[in-house]
Amino acid sequence: METFIPQELIVERGSELSPIYRNLRRALPQVPVTTIEEAGAGALADARSPDAFGAAKKKLYLMRHRGEFFKKCPGSDGQVCCNYFVINFASNCPMDCSYCYLQEYLQDNPALKVFSNVDDLIAEADRTLQKHRGVFFRIGTGEITDSLALEPYTGMARELIPYFAAQPNVLLELKTKSAAVETLLDLDPKGRVVVAWSMNPERVIALEEHDTASLRARLAAARRCQDAGYRLGFHFDPMIEYDGWQADYQALLEEIFAAVDWRRLSWLSLGVLRETPGLKRRMRERYPQSRLLSGEQVLCPDGKLRYFQPLRVAMYRNMVRWIRRHAPTVKIYLCMESPEVWRQVFGFAPACEKELGNQMAPLA
Amino acid sequence: MDWLEEIALRDRIEINAVLSSKTIDDLKTDPRRGRADRLKRVKEQIRRLRYPRLAAAEEEIRTRIQALKLQPEIRLSVPAGLEGGRLQVEFSAASAAELRDAANRLARAAAAPQAAEIFALLAGQPVDEK
Repeated sequence: METFIPQELIVERGSELSPIYRNLRRALPQVPVTTIEEAGAGALADARSPDAFGAAKKKLYLMRHRGEFFKKCPGSDGQVCCNYFVINFASNCPMDCSYCYLQEYLQDNPALKVFSNVDDLIAEADRTLQKHRGVFFRIGTGEITDSLALEPYTGMARELIPYFAAQPNVLLELKTKSAAVETLLDLDPKGRVVVAWSMNPERVIALEEHDTASLRARLAAARRCQDAGYRLGFHFDPMIEYDGWQADYQALLEEIFAAVDWRRLSWLSLGVLRETPGLKRRMRERYPQSRLLSGEQVLCPDGKLRYFQPLRVAMYRNMVRWIRRHAPTVKIYLCMESPEVWRQVFGFAPACEKELGNQMAPLA
Repeated sequence: MDWLEEIALRDRIEINAVLSSKTIDDLKTDPRRGRADRLKRVKEQIRRLRYPRLAAAEEEIRTRIQALKLQPEIRLSVPAGLEGGRLQVEFSAASAAELRDAANRLARAAAAPQAAEIFALLAGQPVDEK
């Protein structure tokens, strides 16, 4: 993985008072800073570039977030939902996975942004968590960015962990493809923070997960987090089907369970490669040689392309069987799959979204 | 066109090579069929090339549906792309006797090994490993 260094730091006036600004300046003293009055949508667009999405990853904006930070994960129509909440402290990501849904989702607003008003974020989360003490919240920060890819510069997770670690009704999940865990290691997560990695065999990482950490680096980081007292999670998502995938994923599992103690895992998730037809067009434009485009995917009722059902059910069933050899009782769930697929894989489907969410809560 | 490009990408060949394969060339030039029918069959063949395992699974299911010998009075079908994992059953009855007859035929079909194999195929289980 090449170390990401932004070409320019663009700061919206007023954000200089944020601890994130202080962290950025300390970590990136060599990066030129431009101050702008207001980071409206027009100021962020760079229409000159033929690959505006890729170009947008090179400049880092620091600005206030004016909307809500705390949201329910939107899930996907008709699919079993895991009752997950998201906090978006940044938008876009310095990594560039060929299958990334942000290529379509952020097509019109691709600027790489970090939000400076951490105090607002914590205040908003606090209002919700205080008001609903009887509800257990699983909250992730990796919906529209990687939770830790910018951590060496922003220190964002380091700002958030002490607050969330002190809450009785929350699990904060930091989901990443990086190995940037250094700033987390001297904090006490108090059993309330799960550091989770999106995992694929090294062959997939090398071909499709551009500018991400290698498998070895991810596992070394996971081990360090485990030793520092964090719970761990792994997301086999997206699983990619290709000649030899079975051997590669079994070897991947061998490596994972040799590196970490499965009893420290909060959960594992499985999800096959999926994309909307719009994302597929974007992938064709940006990665025309990617062989992901030639998988046997069909359009599902929620508007996403997935490997046809018998194929992906067989993939899930194999993965569950291989995982169980190493981790007999670890919680495994499917991401964005229908009740029918759940039944074919596990023999049951959660009755409602709260059921699945509640199943995960005691695993903290 | 997308299918052709994706076959070419997957198999590392030129699109022309896909279109000039013997199977497709035979379909394109079959003198027994009209133009629209030839085009339909070429498209079907391209789909088979693009989705070989899906097409094979669909064919396996189709074979077993035929073996159950319920058609045309009782129609069994599976969803496009096999998504949903369910077998759809359609029939109509004009009397209680017809309804009873259809139900009996369906009950016999449900007990036949082909029915179990259809559901196994829909669930991604190799039939010979059951």
